[in-house]
Parts: sequence; C-alpha cells; structure tokens
Amino acid sequence: MTTTLDKPPATAQRTSEEDIVRAAKRKDRATRWGWRLAGYVFFLGIWELASGRVMDERLLPGPSTVFETFARLWSTGDVPGAFGTTLARIAVGFTIAFFVGIGIGVLMQNRFLNGFFRDAVTIGVTTPGLIWALITAIIFGNRYAGPILAIVLTTFALISVNVSEGIKSLPKDLIDMAKSFDVGVIRRNRHIVLPHLAPFIFTGVRFGFSIAWKVTVLTEVFAASKGIGFEMRTATQLFRLDEFLTWILAFYVLALFLDKVVLETIERRFFAWRGELKS
Amino acid sequence: MSSMTLSPRRVWRWASHSSLLGRLLFPVVCLLIWLVSIKAVTTIWPFAVDVLPTPWQVVEFMWDEITCHTLAPHNMYVTFGISLQRLAIGMAIAMVIGIVIGLAMGLSKAVDAFFNDWVVAILAMPNLAWALFCSLAFGFGDTGPIITVVLTGVPFVIMNVREGVRNTPTDLFDMARAFGVPRRRVIRQVLIPSLLPFLFAAARYAFALGWKGLVVAEVFGGQDGAGWTIKFWYDAHRAYGVIGYALLFVIFALVFEKFMFDQLSKRLFKWRPSLDAVEVVEEQFDAPTKASVGAAAGASTATGAALGSITMVTSGRPQSVDDELKPPED
Repeated sequence: MTTTLDKPPATAQRTSEEDIVRAAKRKDRATRWGWRLAGYVFFLGIWELASGRVMDERLLPGPSTVFETFARLWSTGDVPGAFGTTLARIAVGFTIAFFVGIGIGVLMQNRFLNGFFRDAVTIGVTTPGLIWALITAIIFGNRYAGPILAIVLTTFALISVNVSEGIKSLPKDLIDMAKSFDVGVIRRNRHIVLPHLAPFIFTGVRFGFSIAWKVTVLTEVFAASKGIGFEMRTATQLFRLDEFLTWILAFYVLALFLDKVVLETIERRFFAWRGELKS
Repeated sequence: MSSMTLSPRRVWRWASHSSLLGRLLFPVVCLLIWLVSIKAVTTIWPFAVDVLPTPWQVVEFMWDEITCHTLAPHNMYVTFGISLQRLAIGMAIAMVIGIVIGLAMGLSKAVDAFFNDWVVAILAMPNLAWALFCSLAFGFGDTGPIITVVLTGVPFVIMNVREGVRNTPTDLFDMARAFGVPRRRVIRQVLIPSLLPFLFAAARYAFALGWKGLVVAEVFGGQDGAGWTIKFWYDAHRAYGVIGYALLFVIFALVFEKFMFDQLSKRLFKWRPSLDAVEVVEEQFDAPTKASVGAAAGASTATGAALGSITMVTSGRPQSVDDELKPPED
C-alpha cells in the first residue's frame, strides 16, 4: 500500500494559516448543508412519490396533501381549540409532575425513603405510557383528571432521577468551605446548591416534556372529547388518513418547536452566566 | 426483650436508615392508598363499585392468568410469546438497518448530514402515530406491529452505532495503519470490539422502546398479542383485567431487563479487563449526558439532546437498582 502525502501548501501564496482553516471550514459547512438539503429532497420526494404509486393515495397521503388538509382544517377553526385543550392538559399535568418529581428526588437522599421510592421510580420509568393511559381511561372516563394523572405518572420519575443524580454530585468541598466561612443557609443554597442543580432539573424537564406530550395525546385517544388525540381518533375511525396525518404532524411540529426553540432559548438565557461551557 | 440492642431509639435509627425496610414498605403503602381510595370512592358514589377494582380481584385475575384459566382467546404465555416473536423480528430488522446506516453516518460526514435530521424526526415521533398509521395502512395482523417496532427502534440503533464509531480509539487505528495491519483484521479486532458495548446498549434501548411501540401497535392493529389482550379487557370494561395485565407487563419488562440483558452483558463483556460490562456501557453512555448536563445542553444539536434523553431514561434504571442492591443494610 503506497501512501500519498499531501503536498505542503505552496509558500508563494503566503496565505496565513487562519485563512486556510477558515476556507476549509466554510467548504465543509457548504457540503454539509448541501447533503442536508439533498436528504430533505430525497425523503420528501420518496414520500410524495410513494403516495398514489406504491400505496393508495388514501392510505398514504403525500406531503402536499398534508399541507392542503392543514389549510382546510385551519379554515374550519378547530385547530386552535384542539391545540389549546391539549396544551393546557400538558401544562397542568407537567407542572404537578415537576414538583412531585423534585420532591421525590430530594426525599430520596434519605436511605429509608430511597428504598421506599426506588421501585416507584423504576416502575415510572419502565412502564409504557399506554398502560397508564388505559388505566386512567377506565377509572376516570372522560374526566379531566385522567390525562393529567397519566402525565404525572409517566414523567415524575425522569425528573426525580435527574434531581437525585444532581444532589449526589453536589460539590461537597464548596459547601464545606461556605460553612467554615460562615455563609448562611439561604445564601449557601442560593449560590451553590441551586446553580448546581439547575442543569439537572432542566435536563429532566426537557426529557419529561418530550414524553409528556406523547402520553397526553395517547390518553386523549382513549378518553377525551376534545384535544389532538380525540381529533386523531375521529379521523382514523372515519378512515381519513390525510386528516389524521395532518393532526399528528401539526402537533409534532408544535411540540418540537416548544422543545427545541422555546425550552432551549430559556435554557440558554438561564445559563448565560456560565459562558465558558458554551464552546 | 429489654436488651440494649432493641431500645426504641436504636430501632428507630435502624428503621430510618434501612433502605430494605423502605423497599418493603412501598407496596404496603400502595396497597393502603388503593384500599382507602376504593373506600372513599364507593362512599361518595355508591354505584362506582366496578370502576376501582379491589386488590383481591386483581390478584385473583393474575393467578387465573398464570394458571392459564383465562377468558381471553389465548392464555398469557401464548400471548406474550406472539408479542415477543413480533418484537424479535422487528428488532432484528431494526438492528440490520440501523447498523448499516449508523456505520455510514459515523464514517462519512456527508451521509451524516443526509440522514441526521430525519433520524431525529423519526426519533421524536410518538409511537402512537406509527401504530395508528400502520394499523390503517397495513390492516390487522403482523405487518403493522412489526413495522412499528422497526420504526421506533431504528433511530436508537443508528444513533448508538454512530456514536460508537465516533468513539472508537483513533490511536489504535493509527497504530494499525502504521504497522500495516490489513483492513479486515482492523475491522474484526479493533472496530467491532469497540463497537460492541454501543451495539449492546442499542439493543437494550431498541428493546425497551420497541416493546412500548409494539404494545401500542397491537392495541390498534393486532388480532392477538399482549397489547391486543389488554385492550380486550379494556373493551370488556374489566378494570381488574386491565390493571392485572398491566402488572404482568411490568413484571415481564423487569424480568427481561434484569435477567436477560444483565446476564448477557455480563457474559459478552467478560473479556474486558476493566470494570464489569454494565458499568462500561453506562459510563460510556453517561459521558455525553454528563457533558450535556454540565454544559446545560451545550450539546446544542438536536441529536445531542435526543441521545442524552435516551441515556437519562435508561441510566436511571440499572444504576439505581444495582448500586443500591449491593450494600447490605447496616
């Protein structure tokens, strides 16, 4: 195997090394974006081509159909109401789960309570959301409490796990130092404990949210009279796949927006002070 | 009786510091809450007797299921067998597709850019969407659930394999090249061993999430299987059936996690000189999480966050169970 060495850059050009690096980076970025676009074109193209050719158009509506359907649904005025209902459920359920999760995470530092809650957390993390959805549906029926309880049960464990991990890795030496320099409890918590825990809590919130919205929709499929899940169920029962796909994709885009844009922006603002970690 | 060792203060000290006691107490407290809420509900609404089943009903139901006296079309063992078969087929397909795409994505930046957004998109899609879509598009039967398993499992395999390729020790490759080791031997003796923990983790995630997806898919598009059976009890409005079956689910998942995967990983990674395998996998997968946690999602890409989320979900489970099990209570 012969190895070919790259020729050293011609010295006559006298381009500084920074320029070369920058040009290489630019080129790299350009090719990455090119491939990325190619990926979008490829997959959307396959989807569009497959509908009507590989599979019946009623079974697999293409992306253009989905857009048309969304415009139609939007004009009927059902969309904001359904989104609002579901989002309100997520907000209430997730707030409860947040506080329950943090509470349990803090309590788990005690050995006895750790043993007590350990199985609860394990069950909360491993049990499929479907099970909670069915159980709450059969117990609460169409009542408001069903989806909320399902959200709490599926997401609290994630937050607990994160919080308790965070507490375990608290910087003991910093706290000891603060103690020996007579820093008060409030200031100690405010300046050492909270800043240390915040990233862990944030991670828990983001992962919890990504599960919470799915569980909410799932619960609504079984027991709700409005909301995204209800609309999805209606659409599937009427065999309107275009409407079904539109509902789920629209809500999916909204959830991704909330997660990737809103939560991330809050996070960035929140952690703006720790500049050195941003790299 | 009145010896020093049993003074109330010592007992209290022991009790409040024993994690075993707490662990044993948990089901008892759950049972108490359950009974109290039944009592409360039936006093407020006297006709709501069948909505909240009693624990005895659930236990009786589970016993009937275990001893094969069931009203459902198949007994429990057949039902779970059918589901497992679908899960196995789906996972096998997902592993093959995932390994191919993941390897390509790890090795080439262009391929990575090509697939990345779509992998993230499929990962973030709720399995409910796949389940409903497949049940309508492919009808009732095996195809819909299997495709759902593939679609829920594939992104996890892809991401783990890609991460594995990126984490391979580059100095080993450099050395292999310097000593003129042929490519096939490099793949067999450097790449694959360094990929194994990641593959194993991928299988684990794909199993856990594929199982959840499969159950949902069977609810909507199955004619048999575990998901279909729980829906059977739901449709029959037997709350004790739903809860009893749910408990069977939990037991099933725990047994699989603890016995199959833990044993397998122990056996597979015996050759590793360092810590035992679970720890290695966990540690390797904790690294990105810890990093992303530390940097407050400094992993600004969607992928990092998604990968972190997988880690967080699973890292809580084996770790917390394992490391607390070992120390005998003092």
